[in-house]
Amino acid sequence: MPDTADHVSSSRHDGESTPAVSRWQRYREFRLTEEELATALLAPVVLFLLAVSFYPIIETVRSSFYTGYVIEARPQTFVGLQNYEQLLSNGGFWNSFTVSMIYTFVSVPIELCIGLGMALLLQRSFRGKYITQAAILFPWALPTVINAKIWAWMFHGQYGVINDMLIRIGIFETTFPFLAKPNVALASMTFITIWKTSSFMALILLAGLSGIPDHLYEAARMDGASRWRLFRDITLPLLKPTILVALIFRTLPAFQAFGLPYGLTGGGPGEATTTLVLFDHQLTFTQLAFGRGSAAATIITLIALVISLVYVGTLYEPEVR
Amino acid sequence: MSTKIFGAFDVDSLQRVGEKLGFYGSIGVLVAISMFPVFWIFITSIKQPSNVVQFPVYYLPQQPTLENYRVALEQAPFMRYLLNSIIVAGGTAIVDVVLGALAGYSLSRLRFRFKLPVLLLILGTAMLPFISRLIPLFSLARSWGLLNSYLGLIIPYAAFQLPFAVWIFQAYFKELPDSLEEAGLMDGLSRIGVLFRIILPVSAPAMATTAIIVFIYAWNEFLFALTFMTEDSMRTITVGIALYQGEYQYPWGTISAAVFLSIVPLMLFMLFFQRRVVEGLTAGTGKA
Repeated sequence: MPDTADHVSSSRHDGESTPAVSRWQRYREFRLTEEELATALLAPVVLFLLAVSFYPIIETVRSSFYTGYVIEARPQTFVGLQNYEQLLSNGGFWNSFTVSMIYTFVSVPIELCIGLGMALLLQRSFRGKYITQAAILFPWALPTVINAKIWAWMFHGQYGVINDMLIRIGIFETTFPFLAKPNVALASMTFITIWKTSSFMALILLAGLSGIPDHLYEAARMDGASRWRLFRDITLPLLKPTILVALIFRTLPAFQAFGLPYGLTGGGPGEATTTLVLFDHQLTFTQLAFGRGSAAATIITLIALVISLVYVGTLYEPEVR
Repeated sequence: MSTKIFGAFDVDSLQRVGEKLGFYGSIGVLVAISMFPVFWIFITSIKQPSNVVQFPVYYLPQQPTLENYRVALEQAPFMRYLLNSIIVAGGTAIVDVVLGALAGYSLSRLRFRFKLPVLLLILGTAMLPFISRLIPLFSLARSWGLLNSYLGLIIPYAAFQLPFAVWIFQAYFKELPDSLEEAGLMDGLSRIGVLFRIILPVSAPAMATTAIIVFIYAWNEFLFALTFMTEDSMRTITVGIALYQGEYQYPWGTISAAVFLSIVPLMLFMLFFQRRVVEGLTAGTGKA
C-alpha cells in the first residue's frame, strides 16, 4: 500500500500530520483522523447522556419553581421559591432529612470498619477462597427490595426467626416488635444495610490492600514492628485513597435509600423510616405535588453534590496526588 | 527458637494451630451470616402453609412441601416477572457494553480536543442522585408512550450506568500496548478497522465485567421500575415481589417461595461470575 507510512505517522503519537490521500477518499475508506473518529464514537454517548441525564436535571430544577402538574403538561404558574418555602416549613421533609442523615452516617462508618476487618481476613489466600467470596458478596447482589422482604420476615414481631433465636439464647423473654417501634425500626433498617453492603466495602478495600507492596511490610518486620504498628503505619495510610473511594461508593447510594424502607416498613411506623427519596416519591406520585416534588429532588441533588465534593476534595489533597 | 512444653508440643506450633482455627472460624461465621437469610427463606418456602406462622419456629420443616410454590405461581405471574427482568437487564447490559466500549476507546486511546470536558461530563453524571431525573423522565416516558415498555426502563438504566461502563473500558484500554494498534495500521487497516478487528476482540474481559455489573444493577433497580411499570404484566421481579399481596392474610410462605425463585438465578450468577464481578468493582480503586 502506498500510504502505509502515512498511516503509521498519523497514529496516536502524531495526530497533526496531514494524510496524503484526499479527504473524500479517507471518508470512503473510513480512514478518519483521530479527531473525526473520536467525534463519531463519542457523539452518540454524549447526546444520549445530555438527553437522559442532563436535560432531566435541568427540567427538575426548572419545575421546582412552578406549580401544576408536569404530568399533564398544563400551563404552569411560576411561583418562585414558594415550593421550597412550603417544603422547608414542612415537618415531614425535615423528618425524612434526619432519617436519611442518621441512616447514612451511622451505616457507612460501621460498614467501613466491618469491611476493613473482612478485607484483612480475605487478603490471605486459602482453599475455597473464591466460593467464600461468592458467598459473602451475595448479599450485595441481592436486590434491595427483595432483601427488605426477607428481613421483614426475619424481624417479624410474632413469627420472626430473629425473635426466636434471641429467646432461645436467653437475651429476650418474649417476642419484640422490631419494626413497630420507631427508633428500633430505624436501627433495624440500618443493621440490614450493614449486613448487605459490608462485603462490598470489603472487596473495594481488598483491591487497595493488594496494591500495597509486600517489601514495606517485610522491612518493617525486620525492624521488629508489631502487627498493630504495621497496620497503623503502613496499611492505613496507604489504604486511604481506597477508603475514600469506598466511602463515596457507599455514601451516595445510602443517601438515596428507597427500596429498603419501601419494602421493609413502607416508611413507618409513622414516618420513622421515611427516607428523603421515599418522602419525595410519595410527595410526587401519591400526592401528585410535582412542583414540591421537584424542589425536594433538587435539594436531594444539592446535598448529594455537597457530599461528593467533600469526599473528592479530600481525595485529591496534595499528599495523595 | 521454640519453647517445648510437655516435651511434645512447642508454643509456636500451638499458636499457629490456634491462629488457623481462629481464621477459618471467622471465615465460617462470615459465610454463615451472609447466607443465613437465604437458608431461612428456603426453609420457610418448603414449610406447610400452617407451619409457616408458628412460634417457636421450626428450623427444619416437619413435612416439606412445594405447596407454597404452587400457590405463588398460580396467583402471580412470577415467571413473567423474571422474563421482564431478563429482557430489561440484558438490554441495558448490551447498550452499555456498546456505548461504553466506543466511549472508553476514544477517551483512552485517541487524541482530540475537549477530551477533559467530555470525560467530566460522562463521569460527573455518576455523582447525581437518580431521583433528580425521575420526574422529568417519567413525564417524557409518558408522552412518548414508553411507560410499561422495556425501552422505558432500558433507556434510563443504560444512561445511569454508562459512566461506570466508560470507566471500566477506558481503564482496560489504557493498559493495552500501543504496538497493537500500530501493527494494525501498518497492515493497512483503517482506524475503524483497528478498533473493530483488533481492539474490540481483545476487550472481551472488559465487556464481560461491564455486562455483568450493569446486568446486576438493572436487575436490582426498584425506584424507576416501580414508577414506570404500572401494568402487572410488565413488572420486573423486584417490583412483582414487593407488590405481591395474597388474598387473605400476609402470605409469608408464598412470598418466600417467590423470593427463593428469584434468588436461585442470582446465586448461580454470583457463583460463576464472582471473579468478573470483583474485578469490575475494584477496577482502578487499587491504584493509589
